[in-house]
Amino acid sequence: MSNAVPSAPDVILEARNITKRYPGNVALDDVTFRVYRNQVNVLIGENGAGKSTLMRILSGVEIADEGELIMDGQPIALRSPRDASAHAISIVHQELLALTNLNISENIFAGRELRRSALFVDQPRQALRSASALRRLNKPMDVATSTGQLSLGCRQVVEIGRALDQGSRVLILDEPTSALSAIEAESLFAVIEDLKRSGVAIVYISHRLHELLHLGDRFTVLRSGRVVGECSRAEASRQWIVERMSGRKESNDTSVRTVAASLPPVLSVNALSLAGSVGDEAAQAPLHDISFSLREGEILGVYGLLGAGRTELVEALAGSRQLASGQIALRGRTVQIDSVTKAVNAGIVLVPEDRQRDGMFPELSIRENIMIAATRGLLLSRASETARVQQLIADLRIDARDMELPVATLSGGNQQKVLLARCLARSPIVLLLDEPTRGVDAGAKIEIYGILRALAAKGLSILFTSSEIEEANALADRVLVLCQGKISAQFEHDDISDEGLFAAASPVVAASIEASTPLTRPSEGTA
Amino acid sequence: MNTTAQTLTSANRVAGTSARTVLFLLRARAFLVLALLLILFSILAPEFLTANNLSILSKHVAITALLAVGMTFVVLTGGIDLSVGSIAGLSGMVAGYLLTQGLSFGGTVHYPPVALVVLLTLCVCLFVGALNGWLVAKASVAPFIATLGTLYIARGAALLISNGRTFPDLGGRVARGNTGFLAVGQGFLLHVPAPAWIMLAFFVIAWVVAAKTPFGRHVYAIGGSERAARLAGIRVPRVKLITYLFSSFCAAFVGLIIAAQLEAAHPATGESFELNAIAAVVLGGTSLMGGRGSVTGSLIGAFVIGVLADGMVMLGVSEFWQMVIKGVVIVLAVAVDQLQTRLQARLLPYLAKANPEVAN
Repeated sequence: MSNAVPSAPDVILEARNITKRYPGNVALDDVTFRVYRNQVNVLIGENGAGKSTLMRILSGVEIADEGELIMDGQPIALRSPRDASAHAISIVHQELLALTNLNISENIFAGRELRRSALFVDQPRQALRSASALRRLNKPMDVATSTGQLSLGCRQVVEIGRALDQGSRVLILDEPTSALSAIEAESLFAVIEDLKRSGVAIVYISHRLHELLHLGDRFTVLRSGRVVGECSRAEASRQWIVERMSGRKESNDTSVRTVAASLPPVLSVNALSLAGSVGDEAAQAPLHDISFSLREGEILGVYGLLGAGRTELVEALAGSRQLASGQIALRGRTVQIDSVTKAVNAGIVLVPEDRQRDGMFPELSIRENIMIAATRGLLLSRASETARVQQLIADLRIDARDMELPVATLSGGNQQKVLLARCLARSPIVLLLDEPTRGVDAGAKIEIYGILRALAAKGLSILFTSSEIEEANALADRVLVLCQGKISAQFEHDDISDEGLFAAASPVVAASIEASTPLTRPSEGTA
Repeated sequence: MNTTAQTLTSANRVAGTSARTVLFLLRARAFLVLALLLILFSILAPEFLTANNLSILSKHVAITALLAVGMTFVVLTGGIDLSVGSIAGLSGMVAGYLLTQGLSFGGTVHYPPVALVVLLTLCVCLFVGALNGWLVAKASVAPFIATLGTLYIARGAALLISNGRTFPDLGGRVARGNTGFLAVGQGFLLHVPAPAWIMLAFFVIAWVVAAKTPFGRHVYAIGGSERAARLAGIRVPRVKLITYLFSSFCAAFVGLIIAAQLEAAHPATGESFELNAIAAVVLGGTSLMGGRGSVTGSLIGAFVIGVLADGMVMLGVSEFWQMVIKGVVIVLAVAVDQLQTRLQARLLPYLAKANPEVAN
């Protein structure tokens, strides 16, 4: 609309009247997004709202059909990621696109290697600068380590290090904390404050509302490819965001049923231990002497920080890790679970944490993804499969117009439901979920919680892990806290408190006093 | 408590050291196999280690090694180049045509000098490489299919040039001013045959490019994750195009060397050479999935194949058994490669334990 009008002086980058169409839908419809200098510009929206498309356009991965990009008052063209780097715009992608066959410093300088005599890679200088970038992030690592050996959290740090080293003026962080533990996230927030002060404009995308409210200076809400709200920190509130995001009033549904303690345990785990390997953060955390039981229809949460052994625990129960010692009993009978097949046959199924890597077959259809391992017998029966899938799609309210479309066409929340449907198609007794709402937007989150509660009400026993206190609080009937491979505390639902969970999860008790107030804002004098 | 900790650390150190030894042996396996073969053949066949035989051996190895060095970059990006044998054939035919038939403009036949012949031949072959690169990088045709197509195209072109006949007598005539071509295959410098020098030059350049330049880094990055490489700002299509160009460039030289060695250009030259080259690359430890491997490995792989073939001939092993044994060696190499990947993952914790500093 305002083509000739220059941007306000404190706007460093403006995407003006951007429209982007894909075959079949309009991802962005006349969107104007301003990035302000020295501020954290928060972009919020459910999955499929168009955030990622907008970020891809700002980082040169995709080109808008209409509209223009204006940097420092000058129109610019971004046709490739290289162009974006040339304009000092960098992005840390949500999917953590590390080159796992290369080492840390090679990753930090991939595509922009430092040269010696104009021809050769200057490895010593790259190593030096990589190390200093990692130090700024409070995460010193040996820069010759292959990134394939790093945990997701550390890979994230490497990517941010890359952006830091580039001396970016606009830094886009797409869900940067989805793979980080609370402590790592805290140090990231400190870095963001630091960068902000040094003049970098941050674009911050996250689903974690408390984080956004904590960090953000400017808020823009997208829904279905349109901007539906814009405000500054003073006006923003949790309710303001959620209402605009979902277009509906927030339902504060935390009604948790109490499970009769008299019911017999469905799953009992006795003195389970897992051999670990110390010294390498990517390697599995060991588990020591884990004992607990899960009753029929109970939802048990396992909360812990990164590396506490959450994933290892559910993977051991699902048969994909070898136990060092301990017994697992299902309905009172001891079962030998040493392979995934045995676990599934016994009735234990796992919804994995990393959907893209461990769960989806992106090219296969929704129907095939759901029924991939549930069919029995020699020949596939299309009719019965279709009927079963239709039932599951209706039960889980999967937003799929056509079950024959590739599963990659669905949003993150719906993909997660497809995975859930696959597990349910195997008629489990115990459902394990590793981070059930990772990369899922707030609306879908509430929906998934509702589905899980309904399943539990029908008698399914559910165990989920989470690194989010909010989630443990909202979903679990009972929470176990893991800390360094041991159960450090157990809370009944009524006793759950943020401070309590956090203190129990923090490895050093003394440090927890300082760390248990994670959401206090850093000194605000400089904003 | 303290003593337990100490025993643990010393046990760790031992585990770390032996883990490292095992990994080192696995990584150096191509070299070990080569050394073993050399020792074996020099014991069994006394004439194996003579200067004369080594000179012949180096000419054979040079052919496979040149193709393998070029192929390595393609394979490192996750691609494959099946057309190299045909390109070698085409290269010999183009050179043979220019040397014996010349170019005719306006009724008179001009015979280009050898340097120009080589240059024109390289251009023709680079065109095929460019076609490969364009098909793979821009038209997104699967490398296997794209280069399978150009395999037939280049072979057909080679046959069309002479209508299937051989161009004999590539020595050139003084009167035409085009003598000297044979030096490419038959020349000697410091008692080392020219093909061996060409191989050495290509190897050194390729090694430096792979290990020391940004381009080499980009090749590995693309093989590791093409998407991540693209988003990191690496010009993926350009890098891929260059790898196919380089592969065809190496193949063109192979064609020239063979034509010069035989003093004749035969259109069927180089048939199934691509398979030898791929075998050498794989023997050298380069993963066909891309992202892992080295030029040095491919060179050693080519030596293994060459030494094995030559040695078996000297021992009088039947041709049919030679094929069986070569096949067994290749399959074993890939099986061991898989073993290495798995072992490496299993042994990593021990390596990390042996490291004094523990990241926290």
